[in-house]
Amino acid sequence: MRFLMLSNPGDSQPDETLYVEMGKFIDELSKQGVLLATGGLDPVGTRVQSAGGELTFTDGPFAEAKEAIGGFALVEVRSRAEVIEISRRFWKIVGDGEGRFHQVYGPEDAQ
Amino acid sequence: MTAREAHRTIDAVWKLESGRVIAGLTRMVRDVGLAEEFAQDALVAALERWPTSGVPDNPGAWLMAIAKRRAIDHLRRAERLDRKHEVIARDLESQPDTSDIDDAIEELDNEVGDDLLRLIFISCHPILPTAGRVALTLRLLGGLTTDEIARAFLAAEPTIAQRIVRAKRTLAEQRIPFEVPAGPELAERLASVLEVIYLVFNEGYSATAGDNWLRPTLCLEALRLGRILAELAPGEAEVHGLVALMEIQASRSAARTGPSGELIPLADQNRGRWDQLLIRRGFAALLRAKQLGGPPGPYVLQAAIAVCHAQARTADETDWAQIAALYDGLVHLLPTPIVRLNQAVAVAMASGPAAGLALVDPLTGQVSLQGYHLLPTVRGDLLAKLGRHAEAATEFEHAAALTRNVPERTLLLERAEAARNQTATTTLAEAADAFLARPDLDADTIRSYGQTLRRLRHDLGEHIPLASVTAGQVAGMCAAAWGNAAARTWNRHRAAIRSFHAWADGQGWAIGPLAAGIDRRRAVDGPAEAIDRQGIAALWARTDAALRERTLWRLLYESAARAEVALSLNVEDLDLADNRGRAGGRWVRWESGTATLLPGLIMGRTRGPVFLADRKPAPARTPAAEDLCPETGRRRLSYERAEYLFKQATKPHDPTGHGYTLHQLRHSRLTHLGEDGWPAPLLMHLSGHENPRTLGRYVR
Repeated sequence: MRFLMLSNPGDSQPDETLYVEMGKFIDELSKQGVLLATGGLDPVGTRVQSAGGELTFTDGPFAEAKEAIGGFALVEVRSRAEVIEISRRFWKIVGDGEGRFHQVYGPEDAQ
Repeated sequence: MTAREAHRTIDAVWKLESGRVIAGLTRMVRDVGLAEEFAQDALVAALERWPTSGVPDNPGAWLMAIAKRRAIDHLRRAERLDRKHEVIARDLESQPDTSDIDDAIEELDNEVGDDLLRLIFISCHPILPTAGRVALTLRLLGGLTTDEIARAFLAAEPTIAQRIVRAKRTLAEQRIPFEVPAGPELAERLASVLEVIYLVFNEGYSATAGDNWLRPTLCLEALRLGRILAELAPGEAEVHGLVALMEIQASRSAARTGPSGELIPLADQNRGRWDQLLIRRGFAALLRAKQLGGPPGPYVLQAAIAVCHAQARTADETDWAQIAALYDGLVHLLPTPIVRLNQAVAVAMASGPAAGLALVDPLTGQVSLQGYHLLPTVRGDLLAKLGRHAEAATEFEHAAALTRNVPERTLLLERAEAARNQTATTTLAEAADAFLARPDLDADTIRSYGQTLRRLRHDLGEHIPLASVTAGQVAGMCAAAWGNAAARTWNRHRAAIRSFHAWADGQGWAIGPLAAGIDRRRAVDGPAEAIDRQGIAALWARTDAALRERTLWRLLYESAARAEVALSLNVEDLDLADNRGRAGGRWVRWESGTATLLPGLIMGRTRGPVFLADRKPAPARTPAAEDLCPETGRRRLSYERAEYLFKQATKPHDPTGHGYTLHQLRHSRLTHLGEDGWPAPLLMHLSGHENPRTLGRYVR
């Protein structure tokens, strides 16, 4: 099963130790064959709105801090419990903050 | 957390960590079975405590510490004071007190990579049967339960449990060392590991829609193991090759099955549904393999082939020439029938169906491919492309009978039907070509049949549909072509047409009763008629015949030898003093008539054929050295020429006007001798007949 994990950027500035720890964590997930793709997102971004056939593009940053996404990770795991465990380890490194994950539907879910 | 959540978390943690814990323990206690036991003890402890105390920060280290404590306790409490156990227990104690979690963490991190690699190698040891290796690996490294393994492989749980128990026992009894193999042993051991991983992958890849959900997860297990191994042993090109192969194969899973669960072959898949993420990972892995250099191994080659497919945006853009070249290399490393079959497919796409068929045909006798439906499928496909539709239909029907997969069988039967429909429009030319291409005909038969069919095609038309040829047309053609020919010739052509009809009918083609209007003729010149004695005498009286002819005819009569044998006589094999010569492995004996004529014919020659042609052969048609006279440069007289001359010469003598055959001289001699009272054994000695029954007609 694949999950897309998203995390909000925190208020506090990330320090050196965080980068090092996160680097190690990403390495480990890769080595375990679990991590498919990961990356940090630029905080500005562009919003797209489509209404009545008309498209509107608005540059960020956006006022709604809750919706901001700081980074993502796409993982391949055997069960939901595994992604919860990975999530737990991730937040142990980061500290306080918020995020969410969604299952990415695959061919086996099409039926 | 609730008990249920706790259990699920512990299960997830176990699957993520158990491999490393068991690996570390195995290094300590030197026994895989024991290591697993202690790891299981730790799991039990986790199940007891974590629901209340919560999941620890570093669950792996926690499990490790508990397991080690258990190991020490157990070894101390062992009833029989086994020296070895005591020594191990002392060793464990002498190490820094690792019941402290932090130390355990550090130790785990330092050694874990190597230990995990050692565990992979030991659980895939070639001394274990393959099924045992697979079960043990999935258990120790994948953290799967026995039940999960059983369901994934469609086996019974006790069977899997037995395999694991036996595997552990074998490893203990054989004292397999817990180490990463080095030097020349590494290649073989690594091959064993890769074999296990790929086996697990293929088991999952072959799962069909109706199977339980656990089976496809085997692909993921294998991919994970492969990826882990690639990180632990990054210097091994074949590991990266296997990972690349699996990533790319897995990339196609969404496109492989159709709406009703049927398997869609590669050429027909919707490539938009191929997972580009996995394909990219596959490319990256193959790149790592290539950067390591060295001659490519089998997995790297197979991955390169997979990459060729993945790089083609549509099936038509596939670089088949490159794939065929890669198969050339692969066939050297893995000359298995399946690889050769796949090579044939690639060669067919690159160089045409005939080239591919040439590679498939030798595989039809392979025992290992007997029940494999893809062999007749491929053969049928190539035959259809060559226009040999009736044969293709037979192959498709055969393939359909071999496959258990219902949608696939339906597809194959449809193709068989389509091929049969094609045969209704087969032209005369196509049918004739196919008939003559049969592997069970010898060259002479093909020449003879070919003559008949060539005339048929010429007179009736190349492109007329086979089904429209009528018996009347064929009869008319035969009458025009061979109406005045000898009975034997007529019957020969008739036989060819009958054979053609029978074969085409047997292939399932629509064909009329072509030979219905052609009757068999009574062979008037059946068994040779003997020339009467006056005729013989008249023959010898012919002074207008050349010396060569008169000598030959006299020789044939007096010796009753077969004409071919007489013509094969060489001067050096003659024994003129005794009136005999050696040819065809026996003595040819003549009498005074021949003896008088021979010296004049030989004219002082010492070597070469006795009977020579009139002229030297044209340079382009020089015969073999033994048929050439070294002194005159002329070639040996041929049977056809000798026969022709004899026939021409004897036409005035023959009441029917046809002329006699050379064989009739032999026949006449035997007849006359029989009349003179020669007994059978004596006749046989002279004639060289092997079967006395043939002489029966001569003997009174």
